[in-house]
Amino acid sequence: MAQLAAPHKKSGLGPGFWQVGIVLTIANLAISWWIITLDINKYLTEAGPPAGDIDWLFKFMSVVANAIFVYTVGYIVYFSIVWRRKKTDPIDAVGIQIHDNPTLELWWTIIPGILVILLAVFSVRIWASLQNTLGDVLTMESIGHQFKYEFRYPKLKQSVYDDMHLPVGTPVTLHVTSADVIHSFWVPEMRIKYDMVPGLVQTLRFTPEKTGTYRIICTEFCGTNHANMFATLHIDSQQDFGRWIAAQFKAQNQGPGPVNLSSGQASAGQALFGQKCSSCHSSGPFEQKIVGPGLGKLLSDPNHPNLVTGEKPNAEDISHVLINGYSGPDNSQGKAGPSIGVMPNRQANALSNADIANLTAYLVSMSQK
Amino acid sequence: MAVQALPGHAATTGHDSHRDHIHPEPEGFIAKYVFSIDAKVIGIQYMIVGLLFFIISGLLAEVVRINLYNPQGGFVSNDTYNGAYSLHASGMIWMTIIPLVTGGFGNYVMPLMIGARDVAFPWLNFVSFWLFPVAGVILFASFFVGAPEAGWTEYPPISLQGPPGTSLWCIAIFLIGISSTLTGMNFMVTIMKMRAPGMTFTRMPLFVWAQLSTAMLNMIATTALSAALAALFIERQFNVPFYDPARGGSPVLWQHMFWFYSHPAVYIMILPAFGFTSDNLQTFARKPISGYKMIAFSSIAIALLGFMVWAHHMFTSGMAPWLQLPFMILTMVIAVPTGIKIFSWLATLWGGKIEFHPAMLFSIGFLVVFTFGGLTGIFLSAVPVDLHMHGTYFVVAHIHYVLFGGSMFGIFAAVYFWWPKITGRLMNYRLGQVHFWVTFIAFNVTFLPMHWVGLLGMPRRVAQYQDTIPSLLGTFTFWNRVETIGSLFLAASTLLLIYNMANALLRGKRSPANPWHARTLEWTIASPPPYYNFKSIPAVLKNPYDFGEPLPYLGLDPQPDEDAGSATKPPSLQPAAH
Repeated sequence: MAQLAAPHKKSGLGPGFWQVGIVLTIANLAISWWIITLDINKYLTEAGPPAGDIDWLFKFMSVVANAIFVYTVGYIVYFSIVWRRKKTDPIDAVGIQIHDNPTLELWWTIIPGILVILLAVFSVRIWASLQNTLGDVLTMESIGHQFKYEFRYPKLKQSVYDDMHLPVGTPVTLHVTSADVIHSFWVPEMRIKYDMVPGLVQTLRFTPEKTGTYRIICTEFCGTNHANMFATLHIDSQQDFGRWIAAQFKAQNQGPGPVNLSSGQASAGQALFGQKCSSCHSSGPFEQKIVGPGLGKLLSDPNHPNLVTGEKPNAEDISHVLINGYSGPDNSQGKAGPSIGVMPNRQANALSNADIANLTAYLVSMSQK
Repeated sequence: MAVQALPGHAATTGHDSHRDHIHPEPEGFIAKYVFSIDAKVIGIQYMIVGLLFFIISGLLAEVVRINLYNPQGGFVSNDTYNGAYSLHASGMIWMTIIPLVTGGFGNYVMPLMIGARDVAFPWLNFVSFWLFPVAGVILFASFFVGAPEAGWTEYPPISLQGPPGTSLWCIAIFLIGISSTLTGMNFMVTIMKMRAPGMTFTRMPLFVWAQLSTAMLNMIATTALSAALAALFIERQFNVPFYDPARGGSPVLWQHMFWFYSHPAVYIMILPAFGFTSDNLQTFARKPISGYKMIAFSSIAIALLGFMVWAHHMFTSGMAPWLQLPFMILTMVIAVPTGIKIFSWLATLWGGKIEFHPAMLFSIGFLVVFTFGGLTGIFLSAVPVDLHMHGTYFVVAHIHYVLFGGSMFGIFAAVYFWWPKITGRLMNYRLGQVHFWVTFIAFNVTFLPMHWVGLLGMPRRVAQYQDTIPSLLGTFTFWNRVETIGSLFLAASTLLLIYNMANALLRGKRSPANPWHARTLEWTIASPPPYYNFKSIPAVLKNPYDFGEPLPYLGLDPQPDEDAGSATKPPSLQPAAH
């Protein structure tokens, strides 16, 4: 192994080992500096606690990960160049035959160990601050549906859909659950998310501090139309929020009144069906299921369960389901059947009296074709 | 088990001992190549079927990527899109990577490496293999009745609503799970009981260590998945509520059982790739691994820890908050044995005589990409950061860095490394190097942007997306287009590999027994190996990796003159005198 001793002896660790180390250290410091001074807020708003804490932890991890990556990959590339087999090497040339370096092995166990402990300590501290209640100033609920969000405010009897309004500077305790399948409640600007699991209530705590409009995104696959399950979070000034919630209470006291079915327009209903219904229902036969059954022959096809009266359905029954929605088992055969899923009610679908009349007219007209 | 035969002393105890005599080779094409119980043939069968499913699953990924070229989608319907990504992931994980790394290379290489003539239970091996194509056909056939749509995780209740193909998915994964469990048992016994005389645990090649820890995971973890799948199937078909919360079931129960398997499954996929890397690095750096015992024992440590961290996939799913803490900390602890491996591989490169063989390039590429994927894994382990990242494209990026950049790069390296041993033909060296560079670049173009796209608010499993980020980093549409173009190059790079393989089979040069001057036992016999592997089982004197010294084996089968006298064969690699 005489030919091997030469490079080994000449420079200890090989030519340029420490110089490369210096270059990598400079690169590492430069990237770390960039990470530390990066204003994440510029790319994704930090709309209030806990976003700041979580971004701090993210930066800490980025700096450490960057150091490990730069040194590891830097030396992989450098070793590959310096210790490559050269054309002049004899066919049986071998590398330096060492098996272990216990000191080195000890260090590359201890140093990652220390980093892991540090990371765990920081993570647990921030985790603990997430668990602490910031005061139950506003406690409310959100319920996931295929494919929309329902919001319930204290004392407000009717639910709000699609648009969530919160007053700025007020700590929020939000309980989330689901009416059908697993959804998720994520506000990227708050850096926080929990799954909305049917039969389980989970709690998010955050404090909106910057007014604006933010996205609420579903991140658990929830069906055909999962990609379009969004809501909007409006963080309002206290005055704007006060005006908005007052309008909600006013609407609650008025109510929509009875539906006049005879005024329904089938053509208007057809357009509305395309917007509101077609992500779950086809206009084909019963078997053509998307999420719910096809509604093309609602009154004439005996496959449709008689949900409302147990009798053969009529136009009144259609409007009844449109107004009240439906959930739970199919009991139309006089005995408990399997659950047939959830049809949201008129508030969930934001249907006016005229909309219901039009939709009913359209569904009736299809059955008569 | 009878007395182990020492070289030149064919034992003559009972007929039952398979070490003592060699069964005659089966006659006829069917017996030899189709319904074979020879581990080598079964290994090749696994590889052929796995390659087929790899191509199908890869094409499904292209469907996904092409649909995401535009924010409004439109290449396929939402349902087809959802089916495509579900079957892409299921096909890649269960029908490609796991069968290739265990059934394929495990069956072919592991018995040869330990100096065995076959695995411990050849008929069990036969059953393991034949469950595999059946399961794969059932899985992909689900497209004809409505493919499963809820991703490879199939969380109920959405999977209870899912199309009829979801039940076929349950059957297919159940079958492949049984196949995995049987293979795990088989390999465990093979490695424990059938090593050549003198091959103590610390003289085993590192790939065998990797297979041992994988077998342990396969044997224990897969049963939990089978139970969960059976329950999902029964609930779907016979309406017994295990998971439906409306009737007293628990959707979170599925997640616990699923991840109790599927987290160890990550290590089932990556540990054999660690083994490929360990052996390739030594052979092409011409020096022994730095810290053999650390590498070997860290595999076992990772396998054991792998059982204790499953709920880190469920930080947002609904657990008692205090339960998040032990899972978070144990997950972070896995960084230590994984780091030990990476630093040991790095130290192995130092002072070597590195040859940029395609297998070596893929192993070095593996080091770079897997280091990155491992580090993003640590981000996901911290609960507060995971609350932001869970369910986003950041997770998609991470899984592809560890599964494509990890397991698939490992498989590519293994293909280039063992191809001459398996087929007796040499692949085109230059084309292999081109394949690496195209794959490496296209891989990073495809998956690197997913990190920041996810962090900025793109959820996974969406057929359309909002183009909402007008920042310096470019819009979602821009980055998704970059990813799609990258993925097309990635698909094209695979054609280079397939062409190289086909070309080698048709026109390749004959390979000598040991073209890479490697030192493990499989290279001491002819390429391809004879039916019985070893006429007489050699004795092992020490750890195989001392390059430059005579091979540490006694009683090797004499090889035909063309190999022994080959001009390319270094004198140091002549069989030891005995």
